[in-house]
Amino acid sequence: MAETAILYDASKCTGCKGCQVACKQWNQLPSPLSADEYEFTKSFQSPLNVGPDTWLIIEMREVDQEIGIEWNFTRHACFHCTEAACEIACPVGAISHKDNGAVVIDQEKCIGCRYCVNSCPFGIPQAKSLGGTDYSKSFKCWQCFDRTSNERAPACVTACPTDALEFGDRAEIVAKANDRVAQLKELGFTDAEAYGENELGGLHTIVVAHRGLEAHGLIRDPKVPAETSFWQLLKPLGGIAAAATVGGLGLSFIMGTGYKRGELEYDEATDTVKKKEVEQ
Amino acid sequence: MRYIQRQSAFARGLHWAHTIACLSLFVTGLMLFIPAVAEAVGVGAIQGARTIHRVMAVVFIGAPILSIVVNPKGFKHFWNSMFYKWDSKDAEFMKKFLPYLLFGAKQHMPEQRELKSGQALADWMLISFAILISISGVFLWIAAANSAALSVGLTRWMYVVHDVSMVLLGVMMLAHIYLGAGVFQPYRGSIRLMFGDGKVSESDALYHWGTWAKEELRKGDKVTVE
Repeated sequence: MAETAILYDASKCTGCKGCQVACKQWNQLPSPLSADEYEFTKSFQSPLNVGPDTWLIIEMREVDQEIGIEWNFTRHACFHCTEAACEIACPVGAISHKDNGAVVIDQEKCIGCRYCVNSCPFGIPQAKSLGGTDYSKSFKCWQCFDRTSNERAPACVTACPTDALEFGDRAEIVAKANDRVAQLKELGFTDAEAYGENELGGLHTIVVAHRGLEAHGLIRDPKVPAETSFWQLLKPLGGIAAAATVGGLGLSFIMGTGYKRGELEYDEATDTVKKKEVEQ
Repeated sequence: MRYIQRQSAFARGLHWAHTIACLSLFVTGLMLFIPAVAEAVGVGAIQGARTIHRVMAVVFIGAPILSIVVNPKGFKHFWNSMFYKWDSKDAEFMKKFLPYLLFGAKQHMPEQRELKSGQALADWMLISFAILISISGVFLWIAAANSAALSVGLTRWMYVVHDVSMVLLGVMMLAHIYLGAGVFQPYRGSIRLMFGDGKVSESDALYHWGTWAKEELRKGDKVTVE
């Protein structure tokens, strides 16, 4: 399977949240059913962040301008990084790459340790307790792998009424994004940038940010956190340290074979220690 | 032959509790530290191990704290034995310790107090790493219980601190078991101190902790004849 990617063109997005709804619907993710369960923030954005039951949100990023509010929409969901911090941090191998580049959590293997939650530079995976005696599990967008492996586009892409979302061969998507950026620049969006071609070894969500990465809340040059990399380095280092110690102590033990020493006795009256020699 | 009561029943009980806690924490922790093990044992075993890890963490942190509350005199004695001014004998001991591990029979070691220089140093390291691993563990437990309680950055650092202190503690523990349990030939019999009746023979006491042994033999209140 060739590498695939989602294209999100913020300049075409109207913030309708159709993709959010489609994601919930296809992946059967529950939403709050009572009024005011989400905090009112004066923003059109709802909910405020991704969560275990919300794998995709459109961020509104309203900015006051002279002509009124400017919207710097962003699609906030898993980017499906090639160098995926979540996959690196997972201690049980529950997170893996599919052939098309999608980063998927195997719920059967997930133990809910939240290492991925705390390692992702984008704050994407979120864990929730399943209730009862079950432990937590971690959840995030899986690029609708059940659909893409059956030659269907992810649910969010099919819902988009303005073609701000597209799905296809990654190389073609990258080329399309770069062409669109060039076009936007001609139209006067001088800050327009494409995101995802090389970040973290190449993302599988490519973004066209017509007002620049910062305006759309995209992390410039994201990295696997240094703590996470060092933490993983400890595994071989710890192994080497343990092996070296066992080796050194083993050598000491071998050198001590046949060790004997004479009995010592203390005479308090004369403050002397007498030693009985051992027969070798 | 004369014997000196070196470790009290209280000290041995605490050591037993901490041995069991420490070893089970180590085994259950390693199941997550080595991905191949985690994958091999499966989710059910891992979840069981995580529960054991938490229960034993309470023992690991609680037992020493409880011992200070219940037996402040014992703790004071331990504390005092850990603090003393190093002299030339201690410097000589530390210099000779590595050659001693390899050529124990031929290496003559300087006379030592209740705790050998190297022993006190090792104990300090064990205690420091134990405190580090406990503090980071408590933080991680809080983070696991309530993800909003700890920032993501701090949690990541706590993973690092927890695992660095695990590696250091593990390496120190290997040496501690090698010497303390008397696998090392010149230390044969020392397992009796913590896992037996806590007594040491006059001969072994003079060999290991000469200054202390002479003092105890003169005082005589901890001396028995068998």
